[in-house]
Amino acid sequence: MTMDFDAIVIGGGHAGIEAALALSRLNFKTLLITQNLDCIGKMSCNPAIGGLAKGNLVREIDALGGQMARLIDATMIQYRLLNESKGPAVQAPRAQADMYEYACLARWVMEKQAGLELFQDTATDFLLNSRGDEIRGVVTERGKSFTCRTAVLTTGTFMEAKIFIGNYTAVSGRIGEPAAMGLGPNLSKMGFTLGRLKTGTPARVLKSSLHFDRMTLQEGDKAMIPFSYFNDSIERPSVPCHITHTTEETHKIIRDNIHLSPLYGGKITGIGPRYCPSIEDKVMRFPERQRHQVFVEPEGLQSEEMYLNGISSSLPEDVQEKFLRTVPGFEDMVIMKPGYAVEYDYVDPTQLSPSLETKRVQGLFIAGQTNGTSGYEEAAAQGLMAGINAAMKMQGKEPLILSRAEAYAGVLIDDLVTRGTKEPYRLFTSRAEYRLSLRHDACDMRLFEKAMAVGLHGEEAAERLKNKKNTLEEIKTLLAERKIKTGDAQKIGQLKSHTGESLAVALKDPLVQIKNLGIICDTLNGRDPRHLKQVELDIKYEGYIKRQEEQIKRFERLESLKIPEEFNYDTVTGLSTESREKLKKIRPVSLGQASRISGVRPADISLLLVYLRNPCKQV
Amino acid sequence: MKIFSDREPIVALASPWGESAIAVLRISGEGSHSLLERVFKGSKKPVNVPGHTLVRGTLCGAGTNQSIDDVLLAVYKSPASYTGEEAAEIFCHGSLAVIKAALELLTVNGFRPANPGEFTLRAFMNKKMDLTRAEAVNEIIRSRTDKARALALNRLNGSIETQINEIKDRVTTMVSALEVQLDYPEEETENDFDFIKEAGDAKQRIERLLSTYSAGRIIQEGISMVLAGRTNAGKSTLFNLLVKEDRAIVSDVHGTTRDYIEGAISVEGIPVRLFDTAGLRISEEPLEREGMKRTRNLISGASILIYIVDATQGLTTEDEEFMARYRDKVKIIIVYNKIDVHPEGCPENGVPVSALSGKGLDLLNKTIVMTAIGTSAPDASEAVIDSIRQKECLSNAGRGLDDFMEGIKGHMPLDVLAVCLKDTVDALGELTGEVTSEEILEKMFSKFCVGK
Repeated sequence: MTMDFDAIVIGGGHAGIEAALALSRLNFKTLLITQNLDCIGKMSCNPAIGGLAKGNLVREIDALGGQMARLIDATMIQYRLLNESKGPAVQAPRAQADMYEYACLARWVMEKQAGLELFQDTATDFLLNSRGDEIRGVVTERGKSFTCRTAVLTTGTFMEAKIFIGNYTAVSGRIGEPAAMGLGPNLSKMGFTLGRLKTGTPARVLKSSLHFDRMTLQEGDKAMIPFSYFNDSIERPSVPCHITHTTEETHKIIRDNIHLSPLYGGKITGIGPRYCPSIEDKVMRFPERQRHQVFVEPEGLQSEEMYLNGISSSLPEDVQEKFLRTVPGFEDMVIMKPGYAVEYDYVDPTQLSPSLETKRVQGLFIAGQTNGTSGYEEAAAQGLMAGINAAMKMQGKEPLILSRAEAYAGVLIDDLVTRGTKEPYRLFTSRAEYRLSLRHDACDMRLFEKAMAVGLHGEEAAERLKNKKNTLEEIKTLLAERKIKTGDAQKIGQLKSHTGESLAVALKDPLVQIKNLGIICDTLNGRDPRHLKQVELDIKYEGYIKRQEEQIKRFERLESLKIPEEFNYDTVTGLSTESREKLKKIRPVSLGQASRISGVRPADISLLLVYLRNPCKQV
Repeated sequence: MKIFSDREPIVALASPWGESAIAVLRISGEGSHSLLERVFKGSKKPVNVPGHTLVRGTLCGAGTNQSIDDVLLAVYKSPASYTGEEAAEIFCHGSLAVIKAALELLTVNGFRPANPGEFTLRAFMNKKMDLTRAEAVNEIIRSRTDKARALALNRLNGSIETQINEIKDRVTTMVSALEVQLDYPEEETENDFDFIKEAGDAKQRIERLLSTYSAGRIIQEGISMVLAGRTNAGKSTLFNLLVKEDRAIVSDVHGTTRDYIEGAISVEGIPVRLFDTAGLRISEEPLEREGMKRTRNLISGASILIYIVDATQGLTTEDEEFMARYRDKVKIIIVYNKIDVHPEGCPENGVPVSALSGKGLDLLNKTIVMTAIGTSAPDASEAVIDSIRQKECLSNAGRGLDDFMEGIKGHMPLDVLAVCLKDTVDALGELTGEVTSEEILEKMFSKFCVGK
């Protein structure tokens, strides 16, 4: 068997998939090593892709030449546009996945990918050059040594992992799957700072044991809209979810048994996600809340397993069963898999450059949950960027670094490498300063060209982008030229006050919606709803979008001031000690990044600015 | 901002804004010497003389030959100047009228008014400062955070900073209330946050601060005030009373004051240039007519006209006609003089004064202040903004809030409106120096007076 590769990707989760595909598609001979080939692309937690900010990420991944959007488009079993009634920045697509089909397809795509080999083993150590600062290869549990020029580490929750259910613990990264041992300590030996994080997942229950008539039905949108810009429509079955809630009784059982929780009993030292707390956390931290929502989500078309979103727990199995049965609809419920918590090693991401390459070891890139994030989408976005940048490195090109103003992926990576994280990091809409410019409907306009430059998109993307731009212009012209007549207002009441105006002007009224205008303007019918929506948002919020563009210009001034890689902070007299240490640790690439490092003071940024503009050489 | 890259010619008054024997205007920037030729007519051209040369000449408008002043020009060649650039200093006569006219002339002819500290900043950027000086600058930068910014914000007195921080707190609270609604739509977030009320409150506070701008400005720069009225109404007596000395000749003869007399006084802290003028009456005498013409010119350029009516005679149609001519141009205070003789002679809308005894002077002073700044004089502890920069930041912050409120009323979604609040937060941050950007550097240098 071949032992020499251009790139090796460790891990077959959502980050690993993107990294491996990107590298091999860019013609680098790539090996993906995973502990279990049958677990590629598995959804360890909720069977869904997208959501607030995350839905944007999926579209960005697609626009950048990644796989995730196409995978979910082919395997979704429900689609919803969240927050459609709210503003453009908080609208985001979310889909329930048939998680079995999803994983299966992910593996199949990889198997078929030319230049990509899949191999089942566990990576345990790295081969480095003699100075220990450059990657040479990967060593596995079964004693194999593969060589490579670059490696992407995507271990997810598996590195030195342990799962907890009440008193029960096992060395596992996912229930029933062994942890990856050895890599963590070896990374420490190489000088990396590692930490412990924890996350949790709820019980999976048998569908036929649930009383859905006691829950609220939650259907998907009528039309499924593709995540991928390369799909025009989706014909998939749509399966509903159900909503129920915990009761006072549920909370009492949890409180009475809280001492049995490994979290509260002190067994787990890793820090969990604040925003996605276990039900134990919710009950203890918000005693005033009388109920918490529980979403019952299907895991697949050919499975009776149901996922209980919102109620993750690591209490003993009998306690889980007891409290779950107090939830309306769950009275006779049968547990198939218990909820559990998992604790794992992560690498402090401030040890990475914005390209996701480690500063310590050249050619070693780290992506996904290993960097302290949570969520499939966050992982995939990093995986893709790490894959692209590993390829760029081997091509001798500049890395692709997305700014906070052009992609949520940019926000995500900048946050990680600049500020680090102490808890599992999840992307939020509010983490982005320039949300109006990061809308999910226009990721192609922002990012296609970047992926084309990198080589992940070709003719088809160029063609689609051109067509879309033309179509949008066409619709805009149409709307600008079509004047509202008295007869129109009789058909659409909201147009009454706009008689005489153009449709484009009327659309600025929040009450006027483009999807209703087909009745009076036939040329709008039959068009791609995504295009109509995008034009609508562009028109409706034009003034605000312009305003944001101004803010972005101001923001970019500091971003464009690059700090040379070899810049010596010790020559800058007057820097505060704290700032100096932080700057030396993070080694920001621009003054903008420097200004976001916590603990670096504005005054020190000003000082740096002066030095960068006007370097005063120390005599 | 752009000042880092631009070397465009700038100008500023380097001496204090006020009457003095000589005033100094400072000029710096690429091409400023050739630019000067448009307005400076001297024995030699500034481009032709060596550095550190004095040239005598006149400042006059390009094209016109109307001379503004007879001046001395000190020419500096790059890099041997304070800023390291081509530079010059103009020594002109120190009357406010001349300074104003000269600054205007230069700005019209291509010189940009300098930002505070811009000369020093340029000097620094052009490596005209040695390491010791650079370290001194360092100290200034550091003081922003170390000494609670008290020093760095010396233009902003403490109470302003407190007020701005209070406003900023409110806006930040709004922003976080808004962000919560963005990310937890499915949770039962509390929707009872009254954005309109909060934004309105913050806006009001900004408005209050902004309203102190004109007061601050007036207190800094002062106003001019003209005494006018019919002959023998007592203008000169009042003038002497206000300037607290016998400057104007007082007599019973109508038309005693032919030309105007000027005096500098302070009315409750506001510097006032006071002009006593020729009394108004129909006269064929050329000198007196000229005096009256000058009076009219003065009034047109003044901030306040004090129109003096002889209380024993009352307001005549002639008086009313006169005032009607200026009502749109200048604020008018009607003073009824000689109330010692005729105590009942002052109607509601007038200020009763006895210029002879000094009675009513207090009320007159208060009326002057009210008329000048629209409110009573701010006391020392009150926050007053006095720089254009502060005013602009506050206006921008206010505009963000206005647009936010308008958007809410127009049912715009909150996530979109967050853009407006960001503008407000940024503008307030800029005001207190918390903005991490190039502006901060500019601000650090803005602690120097303009022209230094």
